[in-house]
Amino acid sequence: MSELALLLVRIGFVAVLWIFIFSLLSVIRADIYGRRVVRTVAEQSGSRVANKVEGPGNPDLASEREMESGGPSHLYVITGVGAGSKIPLDKRELFVGRAPSCELVVTDEFASSQHAKVVHIGGDWVVQDLGSTNGTYVDGVRIQTPEVLRMNIPVRVGKTTFELRP
Amino acid sequence: MSNMSLTQALPRLINSVPRSRSMEAVLLFWVAGMHAFQLAQIQLSATDNLDEQILLYWTPLFLASFVFHMVLRFKAKAADSLLLPLATLLNGLGISMIYRLDLAEAARGNEQLLGMRQVWLTLFAMAVAALVLWVLKNHMTLKRFTYIAMAAGILTLLLPMLPVIGAEINGARLWIRLGELTFQPGEIAKLLLVIFFAGYLTKHRDSLSLIGKKIWGVRIPRARDLGPLLLVWVASLGVLVLQRDLGTSLLYFGIFLALLYVATGRGFYAAIGIGMIITGGLVASQLLSYVGNRFDSWLNPFVQENYTGVGGSYQLVQGLFGMAHGGILGAGLGGGYPQLVPLAANDFIFAAVAEELGLVGVFAVLSIYLLITYRGLRIAISHRDDFSRLLAAGLSFVIALQVFIVVGGVLRLVPLTGLTTPFLAAGGSSLLANWLVIALLLRISDSANKQVIQ
Repeated sequence: MSELALLLVRIGFVAVLWIFIFSLLSVIRADIYGRRVVRTVAEQSGSRVANKVEGPGNPDLASEREMESGGPSHLYVITGVGAGSKIPLDKRELFVGRAPSCELVVTDEFASSQHAKVVHIGGDWVVQDLGSTNGTYVDGVRIQTPEVLRMNIPVRVGKTTFELRP
Repeated sequence: MSNMSLTQALPRLINSVPRSRSMEAVLLFWVAGMHAFQLAQIQLSATDNLDEQILLYWTPLFLASFVFHMVLRFKAKAADSLLLPLATLLNGLGISMIYRLDLAEAARGNEQLLGMRQVWLTLFAMAVAALVLWVLKNHMTLKRFTYIAMAAGILTLLLPMLPVIGAEINGARLWIRLGELTFQPGEIAKLLLVIFFAGYLTKHRDSLSLIGKKIWGVRIPRARDLGPLLLVWVASLGVLVLQRDLGTSLLYFGIFLALLYVATGRGFYAAIGIGMIITGGLVASQLLSYVGNRFDSWLNPFVQENYTGVGGSYQLVQGLFGMAHGGILGAGLGGGYPQLVPLAANDFIFAAVAEELGLVGVFAVLSIYLLITYRGLRIAISHRDDFSRLLAAGLSFVIALQVFIVVGGVLRLVPLTGLTTPFLAAGGSSLLANWLVIALLLRISDSANKQVIQ
């Protein structure tokens, strides 16, 4: 083989090796920050229809139930360390985080010490992120501003998921 | 509305599991392609023609990696998808380099078939690892064997000291010999000891991390809590004195220290432990002549007496010359002279890789080790159970510390010791132990990922 071909083969192998490593790094990146969730068109239009139905004139089933029972009575932990436990909504403010002073203590590395709070404002329960590192997710979407929390909508903090229940 | 969470969870479950496995399959094909490339390049530059002989070196690893992959599909669906391709890549590179050294020896008139032997040993090691994955459904079973693991570990460590089966090779008494076969029990002992350390520290971490007086802001543990640390230190020194093996004793103590720090989060232990390593090393270099020699050839390798003396720095210096010859881009696979270093296929395989792939390639190989360790520690973080966390962290440290001690030795960063480069070096015991590490990490990651998905 000619000198040039040898040189190309030599550099080629190392290049392939590095491309391999960088493609692994991109896999790891997806592992850390999560994959981009691409919603299907059907799903999006579906939720738009649902929003329309939920308008003031047509209360849907869930809000009907809400009215009957007189609002949520507790936070129910769905997944995470305290899965299955109930935290009564007997205060005006409940803190969620790693600190032992929080009402809902989550023990994992992905939660901040005071991660989020759930506040009772004017008949609604509002969830607010307290500048946490990894964010608070309502119904799978990271919230930037305080968000009104409805019944049976999952909220995720670190690896813990909870929701309001009657 | 209430079944919202279910409909959301379902696509995640369906997508994530097979996706990670099929990604693993894609990566394995890629790895197999690179392995074929290496072998072809080596044969072309050594013999100027290409024949079907390289298939003997390529096919077994390719098939074994896919059998392993199928075992994962059946028995550990949610396991990490990067560990198997990474380990296979290193194992393949090892086979290629050893085959390359065989060709160089053949050109000098010495018939040696270490490469073919390495292929068979790889098959054996991967088969045992796959069997462990198949049989061991839950790694928590190992927790029950904490103290049995300790006893078995110490026993296997002492095996080479027995009169009939024990064997001394190159001055270190680390092997047992049964007829034609030799085996290095210390490689398996380190796994048993990691299981023991993880089990022991899970039980005692609270008393180790919380109790003790605070002096100048540093919490000093009670004397009785320092007992285990002293015991492991004495045991490591015992390995150093009785079996004359610096690397292994450093490895055992290092793993224990790392796990102690992971379990308690107290820098005090790390500081004391590193102090103990340095004290032990300095005292040993004064009292034990072979440790003193090692230190001397590490600090003054280019002094004539060291270079020519028996057991001196000849090997180390030849390795350094080889790596210098490789430079930044390397001599190309099959283009260097790695056979000029004594024991190039075992202790100095890293120097051979460095000569032929150059600095660029060496960094690639080191990043692969880094990725393996990273995945291991990541598995440790994501698991919720203390024993699993410590076990995964300990297994990652086994790989990381070995690489540090060996590569540091070859690069003259630390004194040269007789450890093997994981997956690359020729030798069945080391291959077996490292594939078992991968099998256990995969098992732990499977249970870690299942608990998140639930």
